[in-house]
Amino acid sequence: MKSTRREFLKTSAVIGASTLAPIPALAQAAAAPADMCIARWKGDAKANMTETARRLTEEALKAVGGLGRFVNKGDVVWVKPNIGWDRTPEQAANTHPEVVKTIIRLCLEAGAKAVKVGDNTCNDAQKSYKNSGIEAAAKEAGAEVVYLDKNRFAEVKIGGKRLDTIPLYPEIMECNLIISCPVAKHHSSTRMTACMKNFMGVIENRKKFHQDLPYCIADLTAFLKPRIAVLDATRILTAHGPTGGDLADVKVMNTVAAGIDLVALDAFAAELLGNDPAQIGTIVVGQEYGLGKKDYKSLNLKELEIA
Amino acid sequence: MRFRRPRSWMQWARRVSQVLFLALFLALALRVRLNENGAPVVDADLFFKLDPLVSLSTALAARTLAVIALPAVIVLVATLLFGRFFCGWICPLGAVHAAASWFRAKRSAGTPVERRTPWHRVKYVVLVALLVMALFGAHWTGVFDPIPLLFRSTATFVLPAAQYAVEDSSTAVYKADPHVGPAHLKLVTEPVYKFARNVLFRVDRQTFAGVAFIAGLFVLIVALNLVRPRFWCRYVCPLGGLLGFASLRPALRLKNDEKRCTGCGQCVKACPAAAQPDRPGEWLPTECFECWNCVASCRRGALAFKVENPVAPAAAGKVDFSRRAAMGASAAGVAVMLGFRQNPLAQEKVFEANLVRPPGALAEREFLQRCVQCGACMRACPTNALQPCALESGIEGLWTPRIIAKAGYCEYNCNICGQVCPTGAIQPLPLDKKKEIKIGLATFDKNRCLPYAYGRECLVCEEHCPTPQKSIYFVEREVILRDGQKLTLKQPQVDPDKCTGCGICEWCCVFRDTAAVRVTSANETRNSNNQPILPGGGGGSPY
Repeated sequence: MKSTRREFLKTSAVIGASTLAPIPALAQAAAAPADMCIARWKGDAKANMTETARRLTEEALKAVGGLGRFVNKGDVVWVKPNIGWDRTPEQAANTHPEVVKTIIRLCLEAGAKAVKVGDNTCNDAQKSYKNSGIEAAAKEAGAEVVYLDKNRFAEVKIGGKRLDTIPLYPEIMECNLIISCPVAKHHSSTRMTACMKNFMGVIENRKKFHQDLPYCIADLTAFLKPRIAVLDATRILTAHGPTGGDLADVKVMNTVAAGIDLVALDAFAAELLGNDPAQIGTIVVGQEYGLGKKDYKSLNLKELEIA
Repeated sequence: MRFRRPRSWMQWARRVSQVLFLALFLALALRVRLNENGAPVVDADLFFKLDPLVSLSTALAARTLAVIALPAVIVLVATLLFGRFFCGWICPLGAVHAAASWFRAKRSAGTPVERRTPWHRVKYVVLVALLVMALFGAHWTGVFDPIPLLFRSTATFVLPAAQYAVEDSSTAVYKADPHVGPAHLKLVTEPVYKFARNVLFRVDRQTFAGVAFIAGLFVLIVALNLVRPRFWCRYVCPLGGLLGFASLRPALRLKNDEKRCTGCGQCVKACPAAAQPDRPGEWLPTECFECWNCVASCRRGALAFKVENPVAPAAAGKVDFSRRAAMGASAAGVAVMLGFRQNPLAQEKVFEANLVRPPGALAEREFLQRCVQCGACMRACPTNALQPCALESGIEGLWTPRIIAKAGYCEYNCNICGQVCPTGAIQPLPLDKKKEIKIGLATFDKNRCLPYAYGRECLVCEEHCPTPQKSIYFVEREVILRDGQKLTLKQPQVDPDKCTGCGICEWCCVFRDTAAVRVTSANETRNSNNQPILPGGGGGSPY
């Protein structure tokens, strides 16, 4: 990512300034942004999900320092939701459009030059983008909606433990920041899917990954070095994932989490779906790779109740 | 000496009309892909509705008057009055031929004057043979009818080729990124690429199996304009034949003022139809395209179209189609029809495994009676699943649509093929009804499927299976690997009651050559004799 150096300099400057400034250490700790925030809706249970999704996303991101912590002025950001399936928002196979819309708005407010949205869909892209509600929401928020072109993926050396090269989408790799913002859902092979597995949507030739998903996903995540992710658990898909289609499998949770540790976010998602994170291959291997901690409660965690 | 070139407003009006109708045709062909959430694509089938031969032959073959479109009736009635104006002014394939004719070298003075030849008769023979076939339920009009022919050629060849050219060239620029300082060439090519892809062609590029033959026929008939101007229109076109029969006594007739005519022959050279405009009383209304070239070519203003009483006998040449030719054409039609049926497929003795028809397709015989091989469904299909048949349905089903699941799958949430079908061969089903249709059945090849044959996890097919309760499910079984190691793997299986045969499992299978799960036409809703599965599950009865 291009901005790493810039961010490093900025962070160093902040640290430098703070050591010079005569602020008590305690106050500084209190002001420090959380590593992860879980925002739960505790207001009217019948509240419109568009409304709650927006509030929860805003509050969760604010608690981890706001997107200004990750987006620099003039950055191009790729927002990567699940748009893989030709399903409607209530079917919970794709990210809630309002979550996507809010993230885009906050990116632009944080000074991003452009925000692009796109996914390497499994169903037809036009139908998935449209019926997920994400195309309309993203355009309304001012993002560019990109239909990925299968002929443009370029083989890139990632030098992972399991994967040496994979075809990545150049337009995504040219962005300064990728924000994974999946919906938490059931998945037959890996039992659950969330932030890390969501990166399967920036690559091609991914079907063979199913022969060893935990390591392939860890290799991919390690290469991409994500700095922030948003987990949409406004409603989750508890069975027949990742495609879904039956509303009986959908559970309304009215929860959004944001954080800098994707393994921790995935562990939280696993718990929401009724799994023990220690039993989920992608999470265990993610921790083994040093990509994060499955014990998300050990992080600087902030839990918010929004009404 | 050089004379001032004569002008005719009508000739220019005709050219403008041709360009506009061809542009409209292309615009509609592009639009057929635009899928507004399964809503019908408004008027994308306009040209099929305008085509009297599509209406007539489909009505004969399907034995229903319901397929007759009002615009086609209007065209036919107007032809009775005005002759073959459709050929000269409206037909988009006619416009292509007219444009291609310009590439002919200018005829030298020594070129023999073109007169009607026995070859003009061919189109009437083709027409009568096709209609007799249709009468017996063998519908092959779409192979030769200019509207389906051009639509098929455009949808499967011209548009995909154009998109390929735009995308591949701009992607090459994108990857190589040639630039001089800050001036990158891709700053120009990328907006063009995105416009072409997202707006013009409506996203993913399509490609069609066996397109060489469709394109070959199209290129051949266009190239024949080098032999004679509008070769196809004057000699072969069955729609031209039908409209020719309708123009025996038009009200609009070409008049040659013998007092002014010097017999210079310019009008004959200008005529693309060999309709004999130069000879008073021998002008051929059944051949004339009403193109106004002859009127425009006459320096002495001897030629003019005039309105006359259509009931009065035409002082003009008659159609060259004898009773003997009609009998021969009919016999040929019957022979071809009988030939089509001498095939185990046509008699339902066997069912072709690879003939997976789109959802809503009628039972095979009724389907073939309606399909005009136009390719609208193939153009509309968002996943490129619908492909032209070769011989999967016999020669009778040439270029009719089938799903090649390896190329694309039937999108669960989509019914656009039925919405764009101009003849109802694929019924326009509402989405909830479409989802109940079975077009085939998935079968696992356990000698190839990874968790069965190679001791590896996979389950990509189960993941993609779109039915809400998963038609593909898995059973965990222990397998033994070469070193004796035991491994519990999730092995996929098909629930035949739930499987719709959409083919997404075959499409997404990790094997790209021959998939380890394949869909065949078995269990298709439309053919009751091709249903091996007793609905409602196995009994498990103890008796």
